[in-house]
Amino acid sequence: MSSSIASRSIGILLPLVVSLIVSGVVLLVIGKNPLDVFSLIATESFGNARRIAATLSAATPLLFTAVATAVCFRSGVFNVGVEGAFLVGGLAAVFLGFTLPAAWGFALFPICFFAAALIGAIWLYVPGILLAKFEVDEVVSTLMLNFIAVAITGYLVNGPLLSPLSGNNVTPLIHEVAYLPRLMPPSTLHAGFLIGLVCVAAYGFWCRYTPAGFEGGLIGLNQRFSRAVGISVPRTIVGVMILSGVIAGIGGAAHGMGQMHRFSDGFSPGYGFTGMAVALLGRNHPIGIVLGAILFGALASAGTTIQLFSNIPLDLVNIIQGTVMIFAVVELGRISLRRKKGTANAG
Amino acid sequence: MFPAKDTPTSLSNNNQERVVFPRAPDFSHAREAIVLSTDRSVALGAVDLHKSYGATKANRGISLSVMRGEIHAIVGENGAGKSTLMRMLQGVERPDSGHVVIADKPVVLNGPAEALALSIGMVHQEFMLAPDLTLLENLVLGEEPVTRQLGPLSRIDWAKALREGQGLAESIGAQIDWQRRTSSVPVHILQFVEIIRLLRRGCNVLILDEPTAVLAPPQVEELFDLLRNLRANGTTILFISHKIGEVMALADQVTVIRQGKTVFHSTIAETTGPEIASHIVRDAPPLETSPPPSRTVTGEPVLELDGLSARSLEKSQSLDNISLQVRAGEILGIAGVSGNGQGELAECIAGLRDTSAGNIILQGADITGETTLARRNRGLAYVSADRRHEGLTTAASIETNVIAGSHRAPPITRGGILSRKNLRQEASKRLAALKVVFGKVTDPADSLSGGNQQKLVFARESADNPKLMIASQPTRGVDLNGIAAIHGLLRDFRDQGGAVLLASEELDELIALSDRVVVIFEGRLVGEVTSPAGAMAQIGQMMVQGDAA
Amino acid sequence: MQVEQILVSTLILTTPILLAAIGGLVNRQAGIVNIGLEAKMLSGAFVAVIVSSATQSWFIACLAAALSSAVIGWMFSLTITRAHANMIVAGLGLNILVAGVLGFILSWVYKTSGTLRQPDVVLLPDVLPEFFEKIPVIGPALSSLDPLTIFAWITVFCLPFVLTNTRIGLWIRATGNAPHVTRAVGLRSLAIQDASTAFAGFFAGLAGAHLALASLGLFNEGLTAGRGFIALAAFYFGRDRPIQTAMACLLFGFLDNTQIRLQTAGFPPKLIGMTPYLMVLLALIFTSVRAQRKARL
Repeated sequence: MSSSIASRSIGILLPLVVSLIVSGVVLLVIGKNPLDVFSLIATESFGNARRIAATLSAATPLLFTAVATAVCFRSGVFNVGVEGAFLVGGLAAVFLGFTLPAAWGFALFPICFFAAALIGAIWLYVPGILLAKFEVDEVVSTLMLNFIAVAITGYLVNGPLLSPLSGNNVTPLIHEVAYLPRLMPPSTLHAGFLIGLVCVAAYGFWCRYTPAGFEGGLIGLNQRFSRAVGISVPRTIVGVMILSGVIAGIGGAAHGMGQMHRFSDGFSPGYGFTGMAVALLGRNHPIGIVLGAILFGALASAGTTIQLFSNIPLDLVNIIQGTVMIFAVVELGRISLRRKKGTANAG
Repeated sequence: MFPAKDTPTSLSNNNQERVVFPRAPDFSHAREAIVLSTDRSVALGAVDLHKSYGATKANRGISLSVMRGEIHAIVGENGAGKSTLMRMLQGVERPDSGHVVIADKPVVLNGPAEALALSIGMVHQEFMLAPDLTLLENLVLGEEPVTRQLGPLSRIDWAKALREGQGLAESIGAQIDWQRRTSSVPVHILQFVEIIRLLRRGCNVLILDEPTAVLAPPQVEELFDLLRNLRANGTTILFISHKIGEVMALADQVTVIRQGKTVFHSTIAETTGPEIASHIVRDAPPLETSPPPSRTVTGEPVLELDGLSARSLEKSQSLDNISLQVRAGEILGIAGVSGNGQGELAECIAGLRDTSAGNIILQGADITGETTLARRNRGLAYVSADRRHEGLTTAASIETNVIAGSHRAPPITRGGILSRKNLRQEASKRLAALKVVFGKVTDPADSLSGGNQQKLVFARESADNPKLMIASQPTRGVDLNGIAAIHGLLRDFRDQGGAVLLASEELDELIALSDRVVVIFEGRLVGEVTSPAGAMAQIGQMMVQGDAA
Repeated sequence: MQVEQILVSTLILTTPILLAAIGGLVNRQAGIVNIGLEAKMLSGAFVAVIVSSATQSWFIACLAAALSSAVIGWMFSLTITRAHANMIVAGLGLNILVAGVLGFILSWVYKTSGTLRQPDVVLLPDVLPEFFEKIPVIGPALSSLDPLTIFAWITVFCLPFVLTNTRIGLWIRATGNAPHVTRAVGLRSLAIQDASTAFAGFFAGLAGAHLALASLGLFNEGLTAGRGFIALAAFYFGRDRPIQTAMACLLFGFLDNTQIRLQTAGFPPKLIGMTPYLMVLLALIFTSVRAQRKARL
């Protein structure tokens, strides 16, 4: 099966290579040496402990959103609503983090995380049950729910939950006891990163060592077969959607309690969509997801410094991300493969 | 449609010595004879076509002459090389050697468009009609009559299109409501539309690939009338079939293909059904015709259907008030022309299709409303007719395929944790028990041959000591050795006290395996034969006519 | 007076959504769900501002916006039709890529971030002569009609005819419905899809030009503000039928308009902003449930 390994590694490398070429060309056009810039990005993101911490900190929310995406994509469910679940989960955790009495102390952690997971689960349960029961196209329903999540959270932070102390668009800060501990002060890297790694590991375990993960992978490959061997496709679909919502919600909680300490209008600058790029790049594989999240974390954390020092616009990161997303789903090998199959059908 | 003289009953004992085309078919005399006697030209032909795919020699010497204005049938078993021949006649494939003849001239075809330009059109089994468009829109798609030439922006002249459609329909005696949405039109009308579309594009030679496979008997009659009208109008028809009765009823000439070669050619007037049949299957090892003539089954009823009905969903056949019983130690065969509801019945019992009335009783328990999982836990096994899409997940590994369904049961899953080690052990055990030939258990199921894929399905389905096995077309697309192995598996299962419901389109297979045969026709059971051996004619008649008269 | 004002601003706010939705619905009829409309609107707005400033012609500006977005759409289509990219992910990726490229150009070439002001940007003119304003009720709306609004509505009313009665219309519907059939009858189904995506790009570019040149005369990174997705919502809601889609656009334009007004009256604008999305969700549920009921009968 060496050919399948080869084609798989091409599948992983292609988007990276293309995005390197695209960004390289962009850099050449503006008269920068791409190699210099790339090595600058490398040193800026991994050069010393402080920079690595910044990279991992930027990678933290992506771990959650990528796993939440991969759970569904692997099962053939095209959930693009992780962004929305991340938002509502984050707001739920933050809301409890500043409304519940600070005296509850460490008990706030499980309460806030549980609430975020619950809200995230409910949020994606809706499109899940609509798909399973009524075949409502999940792409459109989850896409619409993202906008609805932005609208609802936006309304709340500008209205009922608006901080009386700050100006616009933010909630009050959560109690200090509810801050997730920082791992390497003064860096913002917080315990959420570890929770993220646990999520990735749990996802890997779920895929391989649980019957539910086995079933998810099967319905992703062939629904008719799964039904015939007794697997309930609707239940599995709802299950992976709920799981996706739980992970996205926990991710939102970790981001709110570890990084932001409050909820604001720009709580997520598209973590859900970057997470999708990470999951696609990592081919839904746990190790691929960790590497992909760190890669995008590095781009995000180095991007700011690069803009400052070498005057290269931060938007380069978006160019790379967009290119990765487009080329992660390109299947160049399929054309030749299909021809081969066509001729094999002799008879 | 099955006149007594060509019932395939005499299939095995009719080994006539007369071989018209021995090893290397020499077509010249036959062609000479026809040309001399009819004074007509070859509309479509082939001269000594060879075509290989890798090591597989799909065609190794096929010659054919379809005379203008005749209906010429090509018959042969699955895998005899018919589809390869069609692909070459259509220009989809190029022959390795030999050539295609169109209108008396040797031609080299590069694609169906060139064949179409030379007036050769093909009606595939899958209709090339867009379901959401109207019939008229489908008729003109790709060659629209326009009021004024403005390239793609030209306005389509619908009035002219309708006139053309109505004119052509009338000329072949078909009635078509051109404004109807394609998805709401019965299947035989769609076939007419396909034919009319080819006529409109100037085709005077039509290739029909098993056109009756999707039709109900009255529709077959309508199609045949239409084809006869076409012939009367001067159209040449190449008709591919494996149903001898149809060939006898319709064709003027017949050519038999076996193992990639033309082995027989004759005018219909000069041959008989049994003779054609003998050429179709000559080299095949005779199937075991084992069930002891009057085996009495005394086991307890395992499966009982009581007035089972199901509605038609998306082109599927509805089921109407089906009652039957399968006992332990019995194989009950379901005979029927493809599309008469046998697949739907199997799906209903497996819990994959909703029923609208009646009960399904498995070992005394009513399972009508239960899920597939619950039914499997009660001892139901299901071998799907669609091996590549329902029987297997071809992209998944062999071990996944052979374990799926038992993955929640110990020893594979204990305490919610799935053990990969136990999974692999159990998979190897199951594969070894049925002697499945494979590379590694992690290879995709796609890497197996058809016969081994089906053995894998049986390895999975028979692993948990099922009480009832629903086997739907279990040997479709399986080579001869594989067929023998699968027949052996079914017999062993029966002999160990299992109950089998066997649906097959291969009548020989049904008769060889079944203790009893029921016949399904348009979703109803129309008859039962308690000693199938020797009742082929009777069963065949019920299959096509819906009664035993 | 109040009614007249609502009419005027609803009409103007509808135009960009309508233009993008026209493109999107034709694209979807050919079988491609265009999630990248937002990107093409944004690039259209950018090109329109630059070209309008450089040439002093609103017409050339609109044409350039449309053509550049059509080219983007065509290339986007190639990744879907030839390289088999998943259209949803590729569309989301395109949105990010185009936003990145524009942001990059903005800061590198124009040394600005977020907003681009150019000297002497020519706005879209009013088409009808002034005396139309005197007609009661609809007068102000008529007199404020710009060429793109007129073009959008003419297109909407021509489209049903084009789709049912021209060859390309039939090809598009056949391709969306059964691409293998289109191929089998000798049409180039992939090229038809590419053409429809380029068409969608063309109209999304015009939509962007309208956003930039109707009254603002500048480019801003947040100019489209999700209107590409509102357009998507509109043609989903209108089930790809031109007139129904246009009505949905009018409704969304009206909501956009009332959002501004109700804000002053104390209603939360964000919640009104989510109505299009909520409506599509409800419409999807409604149609799916109904389709399933029908299938069960």
